[in-house]
Amino acid sequence: MTFLDIRGVSKSFGNVAAVSDVSLEIARGEFMTFLGPSGSGKSTTLYMIAGFFEPTGGDIRLDGRSILAEPSNRRNIGMVFQRYTLFPHLSVAENVAFPLRVRRRSGAEVSRKVEEMLALVRLERFADRMPAQLSGGQQQRVALARALAYDPPLLLMDEPLSALDKKLREEIQAEIRRIHRETGVTILYVTHDQEEALSLSDRVALFNHGRIEQVGKGRDLYDAPHTRFVAGFVGHSNFLDCTIAARRDVRADIVFPDGSGCADIPLHAAASSGTAARLMIRPDRLQLAAPVPAAGPGIDTTLSDATFIGETFHFAVTTGWGAQVNVRLPAGAPMAHEPVIGERVRLSWNAADARLFAD
Amino acid sequence: MLLDFSRLGGWRVALILIALLVGAYLLLPILLIVALSFGSSQWLQFPPPGWTLRWYEELFDDPEWIASFLTSFQIAAVVTVLSVLIGLMASFGLTRGTFRGREALRALFLTPMILPVVVLAVALYAFFLRLHLNGTFVGFVLAHLVIALPFSIIAISNALERFDRDIETAAIVCGASPLEAKIRVTLPGIRLGLVSAAIFSFLASWDEVVIAIFMASPDLQTLPVRIFGTLRQDLSPVIAAVSTILIALTAALMALAALLRKDARS
Repeated sequence: MTFLDIRGVSKSFGNVAAVSDVSLEIARGEFMTFLGPSGSGKSTTLYMIAGFFEPTGGDIRLDGRSILAEPSNRRNIGMVFQRYTLFPHLSVAENVAFPLRVRRRSGAEVSRKVEEMLALVRLERFADRMPAQLSGGQQQRVALARALAYDPPLLLMDEPLSALDKKLREEIQAEIRRIHRETGVTILYVTHDQEEALSLSDRVALFNHGRIEQVGKGRDLYDAPHTRFVAGFVGHSNFLDCTIAARRDVRADIVFPDGSGCADIPLHAAASSGTAARLMIRPDRLQLAAPVPAAGPGIDTTLSDATFIGETFHFAVTTGWGAQVNVRLPAGAPMAHEPVIGERVRLSWNAADARLFAD
Repeated sequence: MLLDFSRLGGWRVALILIALLVGAYLLLPILLIVALSFGSSQWLQFPPPGWTLRWYEELFDDPEWIASFLTSFQIAAVVTVLSVLIGLMASFGLTRGTFRGREALRALFLTPMILPVVVLAVALYAFFLRLHLNGTFVGFVLAHLVIALPFSIIAISNALERFDRDIETAAIVCGASPLEAKIRVTLPGIRLGLVSAAIFSFLASWDEVVIAIFMASPDLQTLPVRIFGTLRQDLSPVIAAVSTILIALTAALMALAALLRKDARS
C-alpha cells in the first residue's frame, strides 16, 4: 500500500520551474533514493515534503492524508541535513533529547529514549560530549539518532554523507542500512552519488531537469535504462552513433557510419527508419577477440589503449569511423589472446545487452 | 616569511623599543591618573609625595558623586537592555529579510557611528527640546540608545550571519515552533554576539560625554559630565579617583569581551 504519495507536484521560483509534475508512490518501510545531478529538483522535492517550500501544484499525502497544510514542526518527519546541524550548545544526549523535550515528554521517557537511540547509532560512550568534540561522521550519526528519537514514520536524508571522505562514507552507509533494517522506518534519501544510491536503496528515482526520468531498482536502472540520460548517469556507458535501418516493433536494425550493421537491438524511442540514433553498451558487457568473422553483433576496431588497474583491465578501442569505445574486462577472466596497442580487435556483445536511444 | 621576527637580528631590539615607546605613550596618561588618585598631594603633584586613600574616602562621602555614579550606571544598564533587544530584532531583519532597501536600512542604522557626535548631540538637543525630554532619564536613555544601537547591530548581525540557519531549521523539523527554535537554539548559538553587544552598548553609554553634556540638568548628571563640570571649577584629586574607577570598569568589561572572543575561537 502507498504510504507516501507524491501526486503531480510542481514548484517554480519565479519563472524557473525547479520541479515539474513529479509523481511517486512510496511504500511503508521502503528505502527510496532521489538521485540526480545538482539542480535536477531532487532536493527541492525533498524540501516540499519537509515543508520548507510550498508546492505550486500537486499534493503530498502521508498515510492517506495531505500534509501540505501542516507546518514543518507539526509534520512529525525526521530529517538529517547535508551540513552538520547539531545544536552547538547542547551535549550529544541533550541534542537527541531535544525533539522529545519540545514534545513535553516525561523525564523518564526522555532518558530511556536517548539511551536507546545512542545505542542504535553506537555512540553510548559519547553522551556527554559536545558536538564540537565529535568527528564529522559521529556528528551525522548523532543527527540520525536525533531525527529518529521521536519515532517519525518518515526519515528524510539530504546528502548527509557528502561532507565525509570515501572510507567513512562507506562505513556510515552500512550503518544506515542496518538502522533501516532494525527500525523499519521509511527513508527518502537524496544524493548525487550513483554508487551511494545503488548500494543503499530499495528503489531509485532518477531526477533530471525537475522531472523523474525513471524509477526502479538499481539493477533496472543499470540494465534497462529507459532514456539516454539514465544510461549516461547510472554506471559507465558507451554511446555509438548509428542510423536506424529498419524497425520492427520494439527492435531495430542499425547501420554504423562505416556501413557495418547490427540487427535486433531493443529500441527505446519512437524512432522511425532512417533517423539517427545512439547505441548504448556498458563497458563491462563487451568482449574483445581476434578479428575473425564471428556470429552475433560486433564491430572491427583498433586497440588504442590498455590499462591494468588491479581488479579490471581497461581497454580503449577505436572504431573504423573514429569513435572511441571503453571496454572493461575482469582481470581474472582468461583471455585467449591479449591484444597489444595498435592491433586489430573484434568488439562484440550480446544483442540483449545493447540498447538504442533516439538522438 | 620575509619579515620573520626571529630573523630580524639587531633590528629586533629597535622593534621592541618602538613597541615599548608606543605602548608607554598610550598607557602613561592612564597610569598617571591612577597614580595621582592615590597620591597625597592636594595639587596633583607628580611624583606624589606620599600615598593615601583620602580622595576615595572623599568621593564615597560625597552624595553628589554617588548620585552621578548611580545615574551613569542606571542609564547604561537600561540602554544596554534596550540596545540588545532592538539590535537583536533589527539584526534578524537585516540578515534574514529579503525586502527592498535592506542594505540602505543597514547603512542608516550605522550612521550614528560615522556622524560627528557633536552634530548628533545638537540635533537630539533641539529635537528633545520640543518633546521636553532634555534633562530627563528617558531623554538620556533615548539619546545614548542612538549611539549604542550600531554596536549591537554589528555584533549580533555578525553572529547571526555566522550561525548556520540549517541548525535552526533542524530544530523546527524536530518539532519546535519557529519562535521556540529561535529561543532554544539560535539565541544560545549567538550568545557571544549578544554578550559583546551588551558590553559595547554599556560602554557606549557609560563613558559618553558629548551627548551627556547636552542632556544633563543640574539634578541629572552622569559621571563623565560631573567630571567635566568639576574640572572647570577646581582641580581636585577626587577627579583622579573618579577617573580611576571609570577606567577600571571599562578595562574590566573590555577584558571580558576579549576573553569571550578568545573562548569562541578555541
